[in-house]
Amino acid sequence: MVDPVEVEAVVKRYGTAVALAGVTLRVGRGEIFGLLGQNGAGKTTLVKILLGMVAPTAGTARLLGIPVGTPSARRAVGYLPEDHRLPEYHTAASLLDCYGGLQGLPRSWRRQRAAELIEMIGLGQAHRLKVRNFSKGMKQRLGLAQALLHRPDVLFLDEPTDGVDPIGRKQIRDLLLAERARGVTIFINSHLLGEVEQLCDRVAILRKGKVVRSGSVVELTHRQHTWLVGFDRPVPDSSTWASAHLDPPDRNGISRVHLADEAALDLFLAEATGRGFAIRHLQKERGTLEDLYLQCATVPIGPHVASSVRCG
Amino acid sequence: MIGWMRSFVALLHDTWLEFIDAKSLWLVLLTIAVLFGVALTIHGEPLAAGRTYLDLAARSLSADTNDLDPAEVSLHTIATRLDGSISWIQSAEPIGPVMQPADGQPQDGPKTSWRVTLVRNTLPVVGKMADTNSIAARFGRVADGELWRVHAIRETTAPLAARLGSQRWEMVVNPGRDLTILWPHRLTLFGDALELTPPQGAPLGLEVFILQKLLATGLGGTALLLVSVVITAGFVPTMIRKGTLELLLARPVHRWQLILGKFIAALLFVAGMLGLLVGATWVVTGIVSGLWAPGILLAVVSLLLFYGLLLSVSIFAGTLTRSAPAAMLIAVAYWAVLFVVGILHAQVVASRVREDLTGRPRPLTVADALRGRSDPRAPLEPQKRPFHRTAAGRIVEATYRVLPHSSDLDAMVDRQLMRGFSVGGRMRQVLESGEFSWLGGMGLTVAHATAFLAAACVIFGSRDP
Repeated sequence: MVDPVEVEAVVKRYGTAVALAGVTLRVGRGEIFGLLGQNGAGKTTLVKILLGMVAPTAGTARLLGIPVGTPSARRAVGYLPEDHRLPEYHTAASLLDCYGGLQGLPRSWRRQRAAELIEMIGLGQAHRLKVRNFSKGMKQRLGLAQALLHRPDVLFLDEPTDGVDPIGRKQIRDLLLAERARGVTIFINSHLLGEVEQLCDRVAILRKGKVVRSGSVVELTHRQHTWLVGFDRPVPDSSTWASAHLDPPDRNGISRVHLADEAALDLFLAEATGRGFAIRHLQKERGTLEDLYLQCATVPIGPHVASSVRCG
Repeated sequence: MIGWMRSFVALLHDTWLEFIDAKSLWLVLLTIAVLFGVALTIHGEPLAAGRTYLDLAARSLSADTNDLDPAEVSLHTIATRLDGSISWIQSAEPIGPVMQPADGQPQDGPKTSWRVTLVRNTLPVVGKMADTNSIAARFGRVADGELWRVHAIRETTAPLAARLGSQRWEMVVNPGRDLTILWPHRLTLFGDALELTPPQGAPLGLEVFILQKLLATGLGGTALLLVSVVITAGFVPTMIRKGTLELLLARPVHRWQLILGKFIAALLFVAGMLGLLVGATWVVTGIVSGLWAPGILLAVVSLLLFYGLLLSVSIFAGTLTRSAPAAMLIAVAYWAVLFVVGILHAQVVASRVREDLTGRPRPLTVADALRGRSDPRAPLEPQKRPFHRTAAGRIVEATYRVLPHSSDLDAMVDRQLMRGFSVGGRMRQVLESGEFSWLGGMGLTVAHATAFLAAACVIFGSRDP
């Protein structure tokens, strides 16, 4: 089966400036994929190439097995651009109706779907309001609704939770997870690393037009043999333990424990019991995407970035 | 195909909402409604003129005046057509229906029939006696128009008079087809408050002609076109601004479909507006005057063609600059260029006509005679530097040849109006055969509009958002 999103050695140059320097990636069906990178790293350019808005200088890209750049490749694709500006003379319903028409959807089907989406994104109360009177959060939710309108198989979302309050963000996350459960492939461009970490199955980090790191979130944030531990009382001297190296506790009384291997955990627990401490908190530590991202953003890039850089 | 139709209908819906969102549109529609409200208060009152037109019909029996233009025809030409007789109305009596003004004497009008006594004197040697049938057929026919129609006729020539060349007929004449449009009317606005015509009135057809031109293509048309250009010039820049364009380009449509869809949608809505404007003009002038000649309805076509041209210029400019004010200014500037070139070209034509006439004798015309002139005018002096022979004149002419001719679009409507509101004659022939060209009026307009649209599609299609 073909992957819904396939990018093969795509290069984009604007004059002498290189926006994408040979990007290759694939996103599978039902996967939420996060593309990370600083401003100007080429994230939006890559999405625009996939949507056929910008022609690549070299390389090939396919959506659902169809070469990009034709209307048929975009038929089953939804897109929420960053900083989108919805036409202000529409109401939510009329806008969805127009976009549904452009999508070629039958009238009764799109009316019903629009009403359903408007309820789902919580704009049911504002059905008479024109977009020019919407708050930023409302516009963002309507933007998401237009991307979901035609039940696309692939979704491209540029900063989907931008300007949305925490409750709205949670709703959007739930909505996207429900779409994934339907088998929809979701491609997210975002700066909000916490958000990406919660949502995405796989991420790639783009830097100066190249993929410098990619993999599953679990894989990338996995840290070997580090645990977080809390005792029933303060540890007087954390440097004298034999089975592990203990960092001084933080203000919540949690210490980071560095072990030689996984088996050393049992030795550490035994030593703690021997010293008369009762354990109240024990958790395997994972790194955060933010750590990884910051590491990748600061490592200097040489001519062989993709193959030589190993960060995180 | 169904997908295309749905896309197009969606663009239509979108454009409609954008169109009615513009406050200025409502302002102009309100202004136009007020204008028509005012026009509805126009009151037309026929003046008593039956006797004058009966006299004219009698005198016209002396010469065949068909095909003659009263402004151009010379006395000499008339003289060659005289048949050696003189006719006049000896007595005339209105036999109804007559009008009964609220405060005054009963008075004849354009619907009144008359009982008439006509006398015709034949000059010895050059003249011939007329027979009753030819009088019945010719009475009331003046310069291709039908003023009167003879309903009943009886020759009452006395035998002695006949021997002296004098004939007499008793007739009943009804108003002919063209009498109403030539009948002098007094037009007033706001009841009787404001006089629109001189005291002696003006022919009703001419008044309606001027009113329709003013309402449909003059004030109303210009205002509506200007506002439509101002509103719709923003459509494409709004559509292709960053953040909005991406939402559209992600749809399974071609870029040219977006441009063409906006163009057709705007054209349809403005066609609706123009239909309302011109239709209202027709109805209002019809109600006010009772004349329902449909020529003015062609103004929808001429105005729409011209609007389509301006729209395609503004779409081209909007695609190029992505700025609504720039698109609007460029479209209006293009309009101004057409206007100025049109005026300058009229100077070229005038200069050429003048050169043709230079040195020729200028015979006394009937129009001159009516103005009291009795000696022929002096030949025209040669021009020092004929405009059409200067470099500037040549440039104007070359430019005019490739630009759309808005004057020809106007002429297209004027010809139809003339058919409805004038009698025939040489003047109408000149108007219908003259400077008007379908190619200049419609062909060049459509060609320019197509070129600008195609350029917009190419630019828009090849540019990264």
